[in-house]
Amino acid sequence: MASGSIIEMRGLSKTYGSGAKQTVALRDLDLSVERGEIFGYLGPNGAGKTTTIRLLLDLIRPSQGSATIFGLDIRADSVEIHRRIGFFPAELSLWEGRTGDQIIHYVASVRGDARGIVKHADELAERLDLDTTKKVRDLSSGNKRKLGLVIAMMHSPELLILDEPTGGLDPLVQQTFHSMMDEYRDKGKTVFLSSHVLSEVQAICDRVGILRDGELKAVESVEKITNVEFTWVDVSFRDALPAGLQQQLESMPSITDVSTNGARVRMRMIGDFDPLLRAISSGYVKSLHVEEPTLEEIFLAYYSGDKEAS
Amino acid sequence: MSGIVIGNTLRTSWKQILYWGLGLGALGLYIDFIASSPDIISGYAELFKTMPPALLQAFGASDVAIFTSPEGWIVSIFVSEAAIFLSVFAVMAGLNITANDERSGVMDVILSLPISRAAYMLERWIAYALIGLAIILVTAVITVAGMLAMNIDAPSDVIFASILNLYPSALLVMTVTSLLATVMRRRALAIGLSAAFVIVSYLFNAIGAAAGGAAADLMERLSYFSYVHGEAFVLGTYDPANTLLLLLAVLVGFGLSLKMFVSRDIGI
Repeated sequence: MASGSIIEMRGLSKTYGSGAKQTVALRDLDLSVERGEIFGYLGPNGAGKTTTIRLLLDLIRPSQGSATIFGLDIRADSVEIHRRIGFFPAELSLWEGRTGDQIIHYVASVRGDARGIVKHADELAERLDLDTTKKVRDLSSGNKRKLGLVIAMMHSPELLILDEPTGGLDPLVQQTFHSMMDEYRDKGKTVFLSSHVLSEVQAICDRVGILRDGELKAVESVEKITNVEFTWVDVSFRDALPAGLQQQLESMPSITDVSTNGARVRMRMIGDFDPLLRAISSGYVKSLHVEEPTLEEIFLAYYSGDKEAS
Repeated sequence: MSGIVIGNTLRTSWKQILYWGLGLGALGLYIDFIASSPDIISGYAELFKTMPPALLQAFGASDVAIFTSPEGWIVSIFVSEAAIFLSVFAVMAGLNITANDERSGVMDVILSLPISRAAYMLERWIAYALIGLAIILVTAVITVAGMLAMNIDAPSDVIFASILNLYPSALLVMTVTSLLATVMRRRALAIGLSAAFVIVSYLFNAIGAAAGGAAADLMERLSYFSYVHGEAFVLGTYDPANTLLLLLAVLVGFGLSLKMFVSRDIGI
């Protein structure tokens, strides 16, 4: 990872409305994103992720605070900044009556060096298996998003700002996208990626910022976030629950929140599966489901862990 | 300003020019056809004599005598009708400058590109101003060509100039709509207010010209229709100050909408 901040936000705030109708979308955000990293911006819907990105792009103006990208002011130097970044909006809208090729040519000509950009766009489209000869209105939502990714990446920007980029993409394309992000990092480029999908952030990001109710709650490495991760485990037995199983599970340090329903037991588990598998082996296990925790649960677990540690 | 947005807008809007130009041109041909028959014109002139002045104003003429010549007929009837149709185009064009893209969300993609808001709005405005000019030119060419084909004895330059004279008023309606859309941020509200601007202007012009007194005079002055004066080209009373006044209003309106667009949040 090369050194130096690419994005710097200092006291960045955004409020909408006034008086009793005032809504705080983002509060006093201090955040730095380093050159060459893939930074995950994680938060539930409505946390302020898109507001942050729209502020960085100068689409909306901060109520307070300031931010720089490449050391340039997001307001005063927005044109120069936009020359060096690629953007993918969460709610992507493109010109419905135009083909992918027409849009690519138009955007490339606004960016300059149209020939080189279009050549790279063709390569990206081929890699994402996108037919750029179709009109946008004839593309599926997944293919529209592929086109959005091509437009964001076709000029090989120094910084990619991606707002929930993989929603609606099939798993194979998501894998391709993850590979592309890895290649970006290998080239020393920077990605600022917002998401509410933990697994995606885990798969590709170096660091994660957790946003909630417009406030940045934590900035950590992906490993640290992963350490507080837990899973929900659902075990169904063919017959009744083995005698004493519930008490046995409740006594295990890695298991909490045990609840039963007939021949079924559900629990929250941290760490290895082996102690659990030994405990349930006394009965005939019909099925075993493991669920990833929701972002909110991760968030709460992370903070309860912090409090316990302190 | 690179001109790329202008070029792209013109490339994607040529059908608009064709359809509007042909539509208004067809109206011009219809008016030509009536003007080609002296009997019909004189019949209409007799009919107009029986009308109250306010109704006559609604047909775009201050004096019934204007209808007795083919050029007077074409200019009075066609120009007043075309002015209304062009206002409809101008409202649509005003929304196309930024409001429609902002509403659809395309503006987020556009403004993430290396182009300033001011440059983008200016290029879009110029593109739609050129589209409006092209429509008026197509209309004027078709109308004059029809006149020549039907052997109507009327000065082509007068007809051509009176149709071109519609351009500043179309620019004004387009700019006012763009300003309202930028300020209001609600497309439906901007359409409603722009339509009200056109309708109230039309009524102020008709009523103001027909009624006497200071209030009526003020109403007429407040209407942009009163600065179009198609018949002035026939009567030889065309005053360039009227055109300059409209263009000045366009300039002020565009400056205000540019200032608003550059300073406010997008897509909120």
